[in-house]
Amino acid sequence: MSHYTRTQSQQHPTQRQFNPYTENGGTILAIAGADFSVIAGDTRQSEGYSIQTRYAPKVFKLTDKAVLAVNGFAADGNMFVKKVKQRLEWYRHAHSKDMPLRSIARLIQTMLYAQRFFPYYVYNILGGIEEDGTGAVYSFDPVGSYEREACRAAGSAQSLVQPFLDNQIYFKNQTPVLGTSHPTHLPLRHVVQLVIDSFTSATERHIEVGDGVELYIILARGRGTQGLDSFKDVQELTPHAEGERLFVLRRELKKD
Amino acid sequence: MDHFPTNWGKPRDEAVDVYSTYPLHSRPRNQVDTFAEGVQHTQQPIVTGTSVLAIKYKDGVMMAADTLASYGSLARFKDISRLHPVGDYTVIGAGGDMSDFQHIQGILDDLIVEEFNEADGNALGPSEIFEVMSQVMYARRSKFNPLWNSLLIGGFKDGKSFLAYVDLLGTTYQSPSIATGYGAYIAIPLLRKVVDGREKDVTEEQARHILEECMKVLYYRDARSLNKYQIAKITKDGIEITDGLSSKTEWAFAESIRGYGAQNQ
Amino acid sequence: MQYNGGSIVAMVGKNCVAIASDLRLGNQALTIATDFEKVFPITDRIYLGMAGLATDVLTLRERFRFRVNMYSIKEEREIEPKTLAQLVSSTLYERRFGPYFIEPIIAGLTDSSKGSQPFIASADLIGCLNFAKDFVVVGTAEDKLLGVAEGLWEPDLEPEDLFETISQTLLNAVDRDAFSGWGAVVHVITPDKVITRTLKGRMD
Repeated sequence: MSHYTRTQSQQHPTQRQFNPYTENGGTILAIAGADFSVIAGDTRQSEGYSIQTRYAPKVFKLTDKAVLAVNGFAADGNMFVKKVKQRLEWYRHAHSKDMPLRSIARLIQTMLYAQRFFPYYVYNILGGIEEDGTGAVYSFDPVGSYEREACRAAGSAQSLVQPFLDNQIYFKNQTPVLGTSHPTHLPLRHVVQLVIDSFTSATERHIEVGDGVELYIILARGRGTQGLDSFKDVQELTPHAEGERLFVLRRELKKD
Repeated sequence: MDHFPTNWGKPRDEAVDVYSTYPLHSRPRNQVDTFAEGVQHTQQPIVTGTSVLAIKYKDGVMMAADTLASYGSLARFKDISRLHPVGDYTVIGAGGDMSDFQHIQGILDDLIVEEFNEADGNALGPSEIFEVMSQVMYARRSKFNPLWNSLLIGGFKDGKSFLAYVDLLGTTYQSPSIATGYGAYIAIPLLRKVVDGREKDVTEEQARHILEECMKVLYYRDARSLNKYQIAKITKDGIEITDGLSSKTEWAFAESIRGYGAQNQ
Repeated sequence: MQYNGGSIVAMVGKNCVAIASDLRLGNQALTIATDFEKVFPITDRIYLGMAGLATDVLTLRERFRFRVNMYSIKEEREIEPKTLAQLVSSTLYERRFGPYFIEPIIAGLTDSSKGSQPFIASADLIGCLNFAKDFVVVGTAEDKLLGVAEGLWEPDLEPEDLFETISQTLLNAVDRDAFSGWGAVVHVITPDKVITRTLKGRMD
C-alpha cells in the first residue's frame, strides 16, 4: 500500500505577506452632558511622518440625534461609516423613524463583531441623545466591545487626553468642599471649552494631531441653545428647531 | 461501478480508499486544490511607475507624471503614459504596478461605455470615478489581492475642481495638492507653498511652472524617474494631455564633485 | 524602562519649582513596594529624580552623591542646577553604548545671591538634555503626564498653587498608568524652604 503524504504539495514557500492595514493618526473625543452631547475629532490625516491632508473628517452625522466618530485605519473607518449609514437608511424605510441611539450602539457592536477575524481597524465613539432625552456617549473597541460612558477619548493622543478628562469631567483626585458635591454633569459652554483645550494640548505634544478640530454638538429636544451662544461661527445642521438639534463648530489648530 | 453518485467524476484517493468502499457521508475529499498554487495574488509590484503630482488651480486641475515604467532598477519602458483620461471630465494618474494600472484602465473604459449606453443624459464626473476606484481598491485589499497602485484622480465638472488620492489599501483623501511616491516627500512641500489656500488664484502659467519645477527636482533626486513627462490639464474646456515634455537640466556642477562626475582628479 | 515602572514630573512656578514622583516599585506587573522614592535632594535647593530601572536609580544616586561631593570639595561651593544637569548628562553619556536605564529630572533654584531663578531640566537615558521653561516629565506615564500638564499648567504659579497643579497632574496621570501609582511625594522648593508632602492616591 502506498503512503499518503502531504509533503510536497503542502509546503508553500514562505512569502512576504501583504499588510492590509495602516494607521492614519488623529484623535477623537466625546463628552455627554445632561441634555446634550459633544463629539469631536481633529481633521489631520497622516501616514508615518507624512501629512496626507489637513482636512479629512473623522466625525459623521448619522441621524439628527446620533453622531459617529471613527479613528484608526481611515479606509476601514470610511467603509464602516458608509455601512452603518446604509443600515440606518434601511431601518428608516422599514420603520418610518430614525433608529434610537442605544439601538445604533448595539448595531455597531454587531457589525464590528461580524468582522471578528478580519476586523475593521477602527476605534468608534458614538454620541447623541437617548430616547429619554439624556446625552449619551458609547465607545467601542475594534471588535465591538462597548459601554455607555460620560466621556471618552480615543486615537493616537488618547493617553494624553483621557487622564485630563478624568480630572476635569469626573473630578478624579479632587475632594469637594465639605458639605458640597461635584456636579454630575457640566454645562455645555464648559464642556465645549474643555474639548477645544484638550485638542490644543494634544496638538502641542502629539505630531499626529493638528490642523483643525471639528465639534458636533447635539441638543436634546426642547433644550435652548444656552451655552452655545458665546461661541463664534456655530453652524446648525438641523433644518428646524423642534426635535433634537445638531450643530458643528470648527476651530483651527496648529499645522506644524 | 462506484455506487456513490457524489463521487462520480472525482478522482479516488487510493491511499485512503483502495477498494472504493467508503460510505457516502465520509467520502474523503481532495484535501488540496491542485490549482490553488497556480492562483497568484499581487504580492509585490513588478513593472512600476514612480511619482504622480497634481494640483488644483484657478481653472481646474493639472497633473503630471513621467513616462517611465521601470523593471526594478532597469528603465524598461520609456514611453508609457501614466495619465489616462476617463470620460470627458476626469484624468487618472498612477504610480505603482503598471499591469495593475492597465487593468484599471480596462475597468474604467468599460465603465464609461456602460454609462454611455444608458444614454440617460448623465455622464460620470471625477467624483463618481473616484468613488468607483476607492471601492474597487478597498474591495481588492479586503480580498488580500490588492491592485498595487497609488492613484490620483483629478477632474473638472459643473464648475468644480476635484482632486483625490486612492491607494492599494483603499486609503483615500482629498487635498488642493497631492503627490504620490517620492513626490510626497520631495514635491509636496514645494506644491503646498504655492497652491494650498490659493487654489482659486493660481494661474495656468503658475500651475504649469511649479509642476515643471517639481518634475525637474524629482528627475534630479528620484533614481526611478525619467526626464520625459506629460502634463494633463482638466478645465471647463475638457481634457488636454501633452506629449512627452522634458526639463532643461544642469549637470556641469557634477564635474567638480569627486565621486559624482567623471573621475579625472 | 517598564521593568520597575515609575514616573516623575517637575514644574516651574513663580520663584519656585516643584518636583514629584510616584511611590510604586514593581517587578513587571507585580507591585513589590509602595514606598520607593525616586527623587533625592542634591543640595538644599536642588532635587534630582530618576525614573527607570530601580537598581540603576540606587547606583546612580550614590554615584551622583559622590560626584557632587567631589565638586563641592574642589570648588568650595555648592553646585548650580545647570552644572548638575551637565554633570548628569556627561555621566550618562559615558555609558553611551551600554546605558543606565534611567531618565533623570533636575529641579532646583539657582544661587540666591544672584537672585534665585527656578530651573528644571530632563534628559534621556544617554544624557540628551532638555531645558524646558514650563514642565518636564519622565517615566512610564510620560505621555499621560504631558497631556495633563499641558492642560493644567500655567505660568507664574505661587508655591501652594504649584503644589496643587503638580499633584493633580501626577495623580491623574499615574491613575491611567499600570506601572505607576500607589501614592506620591511632592517637593516644592522655594527660596526659604522646601515643602515636602506625601500624597495618598488610588492605592491600586
